[in-house]
Amino acid sequence: MTYRLEMKEMSKKYGEFLANDAISVQLKKGEVLAIVGENGAGKTTLMRMLYGLEQPTSGEIKLNGKTVKFSGPLDAIEHGIGMVHQHFMLFSDFTVTENIVIGHEPKRNGFFNRKEAVEKVKELSEQYNIYVNPLKKTGDCSIGEQQRIEILKVLYQGADIIILDEPTAVLTPLEVQELLKIIEFLAQQGKSIILITHKLPEVMKVADQITVLRNGRVTGNVLKQNTDVEQLATMMVGRELQKLTDRIQLDSLPLLVIDNVTIGAKDAKPILDHLSLTVNRGEIVGIAGVSGNGQSELIQAISGLRKIDSGSVTLGDKTLTGKSVAYRRNAGLAHIPEDRYLWGAAKEATVEETGLMGYYRKKNLNQSSFIRLKPFRKLVSAWIDTFEIKTSSLDEKSGNLSGGNLQKLIVARELGFETDFLIAAEPTRGVDIGAMEYIHEAIIEKRNNGDGILLVSSELTEILTLSDRIAVMYEGKIVDILDRKDATEERLSVLMAGGNENESSTKTTTTA
Amino acid sequence: MNLQRKLQQLLSSMVQPLTAVLIGLLTGAVAISIVGASVIETYKVMWDGAFGNFYFITATLARATPIIFIGLGLAIAFRAGVFNMGAEGQMVLGAVSAALAALYVPGPGIIKILVALAAGFLAGGLWSLLAGWMETRFKVQLLISTLLLNYVAVLFAGYLVSHPFQDKSGSAALAQTTMLNQAAWLPKLFPGMSVNLGFVIAIVFAIILFIILRFTSAGYEVRMLGYNPFFAEYGGINKIKVLLYSMFSSGGIAGLAGTVEVLGSQYRYVEGSLTVPGYAWTGLMAALLANSNPLGTAVAAILLAALQTGAMGMERNTEVPLEIASVIQGVLILFVTAKITINWWKVKKKGGDIHGAA
Repeated sequence: MTYRLEMKEMSKKYGEFLANDAISVQLKKGEVLAIVGENGAGKTTLMRMLYGLEQPTSGEIKLNGKTVKFSGPLDAIEHGIGMVHQHFMLFSDFTVTENIVIGHEPKRNGFFNRKEAVEKVKELSEQYNIYVNPLKKTGDCSIGEQQRIEILKVLYQGADIIILDEPTAVLTPLEVQELLKIIEFLAQQGKSIILITHKLPEVMKVADQITVLRNGRVTGNVLKQNTDVEQLATMMVGRELQKLTDRIQLDSLPLLVIDNVTIGAKDAKPILDHLSLTVNRGEIVGIAGVSGNGQSELIQAISGLRKIDSGSVTLGDKTLTGKSVAYRRNAGLAHIPEDRYLWGAAKEATVEETGLMGYYRKKNLNQSSFIRLKPFRKLVSAWIDTFEIKTSSLDEKSGNLSGGNLQKLIVARELGFETDFLIAAEPTRGVDIGAMEYIHEAIIEKRNNGDGILLVSSELTEILTLSDRIAVMYEGKIVDILDRKDATEERLSVLMAGGNENESSTKTTTTA
Repeated sequence: MNLQRKLQQLLSSMVQPLTAVLIGLLTGAVAISIVGASVIETYKVMWDGAFGNFYFITATLARATPIIFIGLGLAIAFRAGVFNMGAEGQMVLGAVSAALAALYVPGPGIIKILVALAAGFLAGGLWSLLAGWMETRFKVQLLISTLLLNYVAVLFAGYLVSHPFQDKSGSAALAQTTMLNQAAWLPKLFPGMSVNLGFVIAIVFAIILFIILRFTSAGYEVRMLGYNPFFAEYGGINKIKVLLYSMFSSGGIAGLAGTVEVLGSQYRYVEGSLTVPGYAWTGLMAALLANSNPLGTAVAAILLAALQTGAMGMERNTEVPLEIASVIQGVLILFVTAKITINWWKVKKKGGDIHGAA
């Protein structure tokens, strides 16, 4: 049997840099191929060549045994290749139908035949079990729905090979489950799927065949039944992952106490609704929740970036309510922000300047308001060494660092304050597995050191790996707090979607 | 190695303004040849007019003095990430306050000078602070408030010198104050030359500002606020405080531009004497050309002053009209703003694919 798609010895050079080095993959009809690898491993380059966005330096692409060359995406689409981008390319003012048929509208007498278009979308939606409301305005659709629109668009254009680029990055856990079902069903219908991702558990659920890339090379090509998450991770990182340090049981004295905090109570639905939560010393409290349920506002309320309307926040014996950011930081709060470009750094500032934030006020680095750069430079150089931050120099602009390296710089800076309490919001967003491991280890060590950590993350795996207790946020409230041993992805997913768990008998309300 | 990289950085940061100047001169060349004069000849005359001999050099430096102050004042605001468009009003209020202080404060000349400098700084600073306060209190956009406050300041200063404080001694009732006591004059640097001590003060200010911005925590706070206000706030910088301080010193230094003109060159406040030469706008250009680096701003201010004094020499000695200088300046503005737009556009574009690291 010939393969539906064969990519042979594909190489791509950017100047001296070899982004793809003789990569070969094959894909059969009805098969799901997962391409996994860390950021910069070459996944995107490979797919851009397949989609006609880049011309390979060498290598060949065969469709159904015939060699093809794509001049551009339109060419690729004509040949039955469709791509669902990580960032959706939809017109939010158009209806779902209009977005799906765009470019290939059914016409009558030269005019757009809306009725037929809606019929076609409905047909397609039923054929592939992908539910959408054809007449809804796209801007009103959830992220999951928008992704389904993108998939239907690709199907409408007649794709047999569908590339999904990091499709689960933006989805809630329930939406992820749904998407995986859609992928399986599409494969059953004879479509071939290429799934680009770095989330290994998802790969193990739907992929038939897995190709692992590292530094532009194939480091493994395995069938799902012959492998497991650990082996894939090893192939991705190039070494075995270490086990996290054990947790020491510590006496849990309350450290951060959030009491009855409300934001925006007056007219509309409050953003934070009489929220109370305690983080103890030597404890990591994870906050799980679909983004937009008040997590960002909670972080800002604690760190002083947002005023609260009622309630109080205390850290140790200090009241933080109404105090400035600087006061809170001096009182022993450090903060890895959720959005590194918005809060965590200034893109035009140098690496040194981004690292200096907060330190320039410290007595040992400030001599009658002149900043002592020499000792500080030593400190930053130490961070760069321990966190393996890749930067050409301390004078490099922060904006020129890759996302993962900038994140490491910010994490190093905030850990470097050695405060009693740390807010870690999305601490490993966009960093590679090696760095993630390092950051996780640092957080656990901080916990074992007797410090308190509030972890906010949209990655359930991260929450489950690190947290001692997990608080689930829904619509500005904490709906439940689960102990580490009782928490499972399934239970959290239900709680995060607002479903209450009253029917479950194992409910544990450990409200500290 | 490190030095080499620093040098490279310095050079690359100068490529853009130099290109702007070059293109400005090329455009000027086109204009000159349209008028029918020889380009090389005309530029030579211009050069002579600006730097031809010691007299012309000092004349250029004298003209540059208020422009440097204005440029420095604006550079602070730009560094803090806000647009202070009110340098003209701040300068005029500074000038009139300095003149009145020097006229009516009793004491020896040195006291008069010091009080006048303080008054000029304070008047410009408070005027600018008013706009800053309106921004933080009522969210009145600085760009607009500072611009509009110019009219208020200029007209108010005009009122002061045409009614309550008008010089009635002369035959013609001009809108100006009486002349200052000679003891309160800033001394000339060289006898018979127009450049005065104000130029030295301007250069000292440029160096101090450079040091503050570069090496102190206050300067760090200002720069970070300008780079990314969210980052500044997150790191514990008091945004409002830094903004108000920056606006105050920005306006204060602009006020000094007027002050040294009064104390060192005109010896009285004459209505229109500061607004007509367009010091404020030339100063704005200097700050933009130098990307708000204080030392660079001083250099750019001298260059722009040279362009103006050179053009005057050109008009004296050739058939080419003074407006050629305006053409060159106009092109400069165009390129400087193009640079801002391109940077802004780049930032926007980058901002768009921040999360696209796949």
